Amino acid sequence: MATKRYDKLQETLYYEKLDNGLDVFVLPKPGFTKTYATFTTRYGSIDNRFRPAGGEEIRVPDGIAHFLEHKMFEEPEGDIFATFASQGASANAFTSFDRTVYLFSATRNIEANLATLLDFVQNPYFTDANVEKEKGIIVQEINMYRDNPDWRVYYGLIEALYSVHPVHIDIAGTEQSVRSITKEMLYDCYRTFYHPSNMTLFVVGGVDGEATLELVKANQAAKTFPEAGPVERIFEEEPLQVREKRKEIRLPVSLPKCLFGYKEEPAPRDGSGAIRRELVTRLMFDILLGPSSSLYQELYEANLISDGFGYEFNTGSGYSFSVIGGDTRDPDALVAKVTAALEEAAQKGVAEAEFERARRKRIGAYLRMLNSPEAIANEFTRYRLNGGDFFELVGLYESLTPGDVNARLREHVNADRLAVAVVRSDAV
Amino acid sequence: MSTENFQRGRLGRLRLHVLPTKRFKTFALSLFVGIPLTESRVTPVALTPFVLRRGTASYPETISFRERLDDLYGAGFGFDIYKRGDFQIVQFKLDIINDRFVSSRQPLLKEAVDFLGEVLTSPALEEGRFRSRYVEAEKTTVRKRIEAIVNDKIRYAAERCVEEMCKDEPYRLPALGRKDDLDGLDAEKLYEAYRNWLNDAVLDLYVSGDTTLEEVEPLAEAAFKLSGGSPSSYAPPRLRKARNEPQTVVERLDVGQGKLNMGLTTGISFGDERYPALLMYNGLLGAFPHSKLFVNVREKASLAYYASSRLDGHKGLLTIQSGIEIGNYEKAVGIIREQLASMRRGEIGEADLLRTKAMLANQLRELQDSAFERISFDFNNVLAGTDRNGDSLLEELEAVTPERVAEVAQSVELDTIYFLRDRKGGSGDGD
Repeated sequence: MATKRYDKLQETLYYEKLDNGLDVFVLPKPGFTKTYATFTTRYGSIDNRFRPAGGEEIRVPDGIAHFLEHKMFEEPEGDIFATFASQGASANAFTSFDRTVYLFSATRNIEANLATLLDFVQNPYFTDANVEKEKGIIVQEINMYRDNPDWRVYYGLIEALYSVHPVHIDIAGTEQSVRSITKEMLYDCYRTFYHPSNMTLFVVGGVDGEATLELVKANQAAKTFPEAGPVERIFEEEPLQVREKRKEIRLPVSLPKCLFGYKEEPAPRDGSGAIRRELVTRLMFDILLGPSSSLYQELYEANLISDGFGYEFNTGSGYSFSVIGGDTRDPDALVAKVTAALEEAAQKGVAEAEFERARRKRIGAYLRMLNSPEAIANEFTRYRLNGGDFFELVGLYESLTPGDVNARLREHVNADRLAVAVVRSDAV
Repeated sequence: MSTENFQRGRLGRLRLHVLPTKRFKTFALSLFVGIPLTESRVTPVALTPFVLRRGTASYPETISFRERLDDLYGAGFGFDIYKRGDFQIVQFKLDIINDRFVSSRQPLLKEAVDFLGEVLTSPALEEGRFRSRYVEAEKTTVRKRIEAIVNDKIRYAAERCVEEMCKDEPYRLPALGRKDDLDGLDAEKLYEAYRNWLNDAVLDLYVSGDTTLEEVEPLAEAAFKLSGGSPSSYAPPRLRKARNEPQTVVERLDVGQGKLNMGLTTGISFGDERYPALLMYNGLLGAFPHSKLFVNVREKASLAYYASSRLDGHKGLLTIQSGIEIGNYEKAVGIIREQLASMRRGEIGEADLLRTKAMLANQLRELQDSAFERISFDFNNVLAGTDRNGDSLLEELEAVTPERVAEVAQSVELDTIYFLRDRKGGSGDGD
């Protein structure tokens, strides 16, 4: 067991890699009533083609990682939610592009709840009947999102940006792909991606660091796992060009929804390169598009944006793109104004004072986030999977310069790699 | 459970509530401003905080206002407008890091209280009224917000259901106001409405963090320029009775999934001694994944992805929501009504009772870890005029028996079934 002390943040992190390969982290938060735990596998919607250790290449139906997440909650003795409820824990799970996360939060019975979390995720139980039953539920989940214009425009943009990489495939799949899933496929995916060596446990809150680690160790030592072999994930090469410059989707909305973004080559995922890039990109957008930017105020005054205007940067294995936009009366005017401003900034560079303000704001937001066990667990794991340390972000932010932002602007803002997605009532 | 307690004070009309705690790396501030919900005032009151966030006397330009927040280490500032009982509440929130964690020479708590005080009581003005430019722009923003509610079908269906259920009382009014009333507002009228609002409202300022009432009092006194007087308080809500026969409202829009919502009256509100039993009722019926609605509508019948119930304790209303295949309307209504009947018959398993108690107790304990949630919980009690705290509510919950839940179930009445469906096919309720 190792501990790492982060003096400035007044936090101590306990860590151990267990014999079976599981990464375990515990962050005690003295004075906290609640404990929050996430059990994460590095397996998400993009992992749809792979070669398991010693096996043949498999292409699985869209939405299967998410389907598997749903199905994990069923155990031979019934629904695991009931067990968590008896122990006063609120449990949940989610699937993203590159990970699946199982979690609970509780204020009592932490030992029992941790054991339940580890045990249910490490005990798949799929039958033909329970797999069939889940399909109706997931189809309703898909239908719910189909009626949601924010979701549609978001996916519309990714579909416009990517032609090959599976990031453009809806995490939940389609009704058709979901209907084709069988219990055998679920077991294949489970065996490939749920080995402890592909997983991370993070526990944060009112717990003792050492005792919690010991408990997890004992739980894992009592189980046997096959030898972990290398899993080969197969991604076809994604062209640098966007798939379509513009995509329109018809759905009834009060105002058109417009998202646009730039596609770029992903940063190498070893070392801190990818993390640095992410932080610099955030600062870049805060400076140029944040609520205190002159462009934001200008667009607001021109009634081209409202409060929902925003931006994000999304990157992972084989993909890297920005998402900018919101509701607007005139998508073309909005895109034209924002891209012109970004291109101009790429020429001229950003002002030192604005850089400082944006950095200070980001550091403040980061420190505020450390009040939240949920945010700590999720962000720590995300950074870890990308090769970084969430608790060292202040130092990283402090090491950045306006020159980094300027270089990043020139790298990211490329009119040839821009795509636009619009949801509107009158789209054809 | 509560390791720290609120310290209370008053400054003229402003009630102060300070929670000294070292648990967080931040100071959290909330300011609640409430007046009775009325047709004539709902829209100007909703518009007011939008205009207030455009600028203050010291930071009259919106950019300087936003930059000021950025300079305070990216202080989080925002507001919410909602209905609580028969009141329309505007809540301003500010959270800011404790100076201890940064090499700052600014006393950040003082800066935060100053800022909030100025937002409420010293807005940017021109010729003795709001700036027209801000008022016009924010009218557009509010109008767009109101129009956008229909984009989110889950929220739209929930709001429409309550509107239909309460169509003969002020509670039908949306917290964001009414689009048609925006046209008649200008800088002068809105400023007058704002002055009246400030004079009539119940005002509560909450501060949580490594501080004390003694420290906050002089800061608030300097920051808030309010008229004299003594604090007013919130009146209990009028509780409505259900219709003799439930009404069914079907609305058609371009949707793929049907949204089935139900509105029920309970006759019990937050201040009632039966409230803990009602919380248990809601937990057993639909608040959790082990509840009857989730288990029967989703897990057993595979009809929905979500099926849940929600309690509005301040108005004594209970709502049910689910998203279903349009053709499954009758089936879903049947299953949900059966769950309501089962609750009335007192079919409450011992294991489910214990689960529900454990989950509710967990929620109550968890909120101790969030400054804003502790503040909201306390404000709910202040608003309802009860002296419950987390510990006493836990004790009350622990004591609830299945008989008490069944008793409460007798007073829960279905009032409205609302169904949002597609434009195609069928003549009435689903086909």
